[in-house]
Amino acid sequence: MVVRKYEDELQYLEKINSHCWRIKKGFQPNMNVEGVFYVNSTLEKLMLEELRNACRPGMAGGFLPGVKQIANVAALPGIVGRSVGLPDIHSGYGFAIGNMAAFDMDNPDSVVSPGGVGFDINCGVRLLRTNLFEKDVQPVKEQLAQSLFDHIPVGVGSKGIIPMNAKDLEEALEMGMDWSLREGYVWAEDKEHCEEYGRMLNADPSKVSMRAKKRGLPQLGTLGAGNHYAEIQVVDEIYDKWAASKMGIEEKGQVCVMIHSGSRGFGHQVATDALVQMEKAMKRDTIVTNDRQLACARIHSTEGQDYLKAMAAAANFAWVNRSSMTFLTRQAFAKQFNTSPDDLDMHVIYDVSHNIAKEEEHIVDGKPKRLLVHRKGSTRAFPPHHPLIPVDYQLTGQPVLIGGTMGTCSYVLTGTEKGMLETFGSTCHGAGRALSRAKSRRNIEYTDVLKKLESIGISIRVASPKLVMEEAPESYKNVTDVVDTCHAAGISKKAIKLRPIAVIKG
Amino acid sequence: MSLKRKLTAIGYEGTINCDDENDFCKIIIWLERNRIKFYSNEDKKALDNVNASNWSTFYDKYAKDLECPMERNPPEACLDWYLGYAIKLEYIKNKNVYDKHSFENEKVENAPKVVPDNPLDALDFTSREFQEGVQKLANILKIPPHPSPLIMLEACTKIIQTRLNPKAIENPSEYIITGTPYPYKDMSLGFELKDREVDEAAKVLRLLFIQDQRDLQTKVNECIVAVQSITANPKTDTRLGKVGK
Repeated sequence: MVVRKYEDELQYLEKINSHCWRIKKGFQPNMNVEGVFYVNSTLEKLMLEELRNACRPGMAGGFLPGVKQIANVAALPGIVGRSVGLPDIHSGYGFAIGNMAAFDMDNPDSVVSPGGVGFDINCGVRLLRTNLFEKDVQPVKEQLAQSLFDHIPVGVGSKGIIPMNAKDLEEALEMGMDWSLREGYVWAEDKEHCEEYGRMLNADPSKVSMRAKKRGLPQLGTLGAGNHYAEIQVVDEIYDKWAASKMGIEEKGQVCVMIHSGSRGFGHQVATDALVQMEKAMKRDTIVTNDRQLACARIHSTEGQDYLKAMAAAANFAWVNRSSMTFLTRQAFAKQFNTSPDDLDMHVIYDVSHNIAKEEEHIVDGKPKRLLVHRKGSTRAFPPHHPLIPVDYQLTGQPVLIGGTMGTCSYVLTGTEKGMLETFGSTCHGAGRALSRAKSRRNIEYTDVLKKLESIGISIRVASPKLVMEEAPESYKNVTDVVDTCHAAGISKKAIKLRPIAVIKG
Repeated sequence: MSLKRKLTAIGYEGTINCDDENDFCKIIIWLERNRIKFYSNEDKKALDNVNASNWSTFYDKYAKDLECPMERNPPEACLDWYLGYAIKLEYIKNKNVYDKHSFENEKVENAPKVVPDNPLDALDFTSREFQEGVQKLANILKIPPHPSPLIMLEACTKIIQTRLNPKAIENPSEYIITGTPYPYKDMSLGFELKDREVDEAAKVLRLLFIQDQRDLQTKVNECIVAVQSITANPKTDTRLGKVGK
């Protein structure tokens, strides 16, 4: 890392407009393209504060500040356009969480980096709607939260209640949501309303280690720990009446269920295995990066291809996982209200991935190009009429599901033309951490967190209450700031706001 | 917009504001005087006087005499019918000139003539009997008029096929389109053609395409459901569940 005074560092940063900053070349060594990040005045302070702290003497070590990480990504071989930081950006392994970067598939030097996807491969959010209203659910929300908690195992080391053997897992890894469909866990319409139709076609289970499969097998249909949750939410605000209506949301007070989960230990193992392989590939192909955590391999090398195939299998695992939890949620609701999920109109509004790398076509300098788009803590947000979004959303743009922090609120946005041009059709993914996990544990008492949730009328079921302060709203940036920034910058558009009435967590 | 085009085509030079009663009268009078010429000069006079308080009565009589199927409101649709009528008369007057450039005549030289064996093809589509028949059918189905009886017939066919087929009659609720109409005029087209009218047309094409896609997706879903009825067997076993720490 280049060591400069804070004031000198600022010379490389330029505010382009009220919501966008440019990171000039030279901020970090060997930058191939410029960086950019989106913030409002509040988030701007956090961002610059982080940089200022990192510039203080003796602050070396630990994660680099987000701006530095954006610039290091801009120095990777084959990157095109700009290295983009979304408003919820915070430091992560190699890539910051909330960083997207696209690499030219036709450039033989271009790389794929597991750090650009994250350890929780295809972590994502799914939103189910119901035809229930708050008044129907309020009286029974405790029972409903308990029922969800009983159906969906949560927490570190939890095991799912959908029986699976090794052969089932192999098939699920290859087929993604098609497996869930074949087995009858989900509805045909669910596939239609899922990014990539719930299946990465290039998945190859044979590229996945035995270890990953062993870790993954018992975990299917479990929520996991960390920031993952299932929430019963209520529509709090409708900003775009037409978009909401296309999603089947007509009125305030309508009840939805949000599931935020990923590929559990399976994805983590796939990423860990790949990092080892990639270090070898970097030595062989003499690929130089600014940060050791940015381990990568050429897209068309064996290591690159093996990672992409294994990553696709992990993505499929995550979709099967969210599908299984959809099934369990529908069961829980049907039991509670003594009717069928069909009659409750429990359709999937959409399912987004916010940790993934995908091949996409974009216009770069006026020409169509095949790119490998890395989105880590960043959600795809394609505009109206894009051929890869479901027919029902052709007029509104792709729904973008932004899960807030436990006990705050969540949003549904839609993709825009401007986002397609500026950020390769990408936007934020959530609130984004402000305090590290360790810091949160030191600063906040878990009993206070639980009490506070209770006082605002949110039922909570949690497997490990002692970790709950890591996920307290105080540990995160304000999701409303994040979403408003994306809206103001025009890279996505606000459609619906949701607030939780019951949470289940790991 | 198409009104303006048709007015220009037929040689009317005045302005048009559909909400203005006066413009409506002026156009009707101009059309009758210069293009339609249905009345003798005697009868024209009564209609000519825009300021007469009983103009509406004369108009109603005129509409009846001309067999105009349209109500006066909305004026756009009504004017459109008169314009279509006037254009048809113009066309018949100079049929030979226009037909020289028709699609069939342009092609005839290099294409062999196909002798139709379908008796429907032998129908005379220009006969008054055919036109009246189509008009009656359209009235029953409440289809807005179009100057070409063939296009009208096509519209009738579409309605009958989609909404009056045996299944639809048995279960009308499944075929009646529900949901909230989307304000397509406000939607973004995704590109610009620098001509508002072409943009509008492109939007309509978009919508038709989306409808086709929806039909296709529904069929795909039906296929999946059909397969599911053979393969699906979802199971749960709560004994396997384990809550973590």
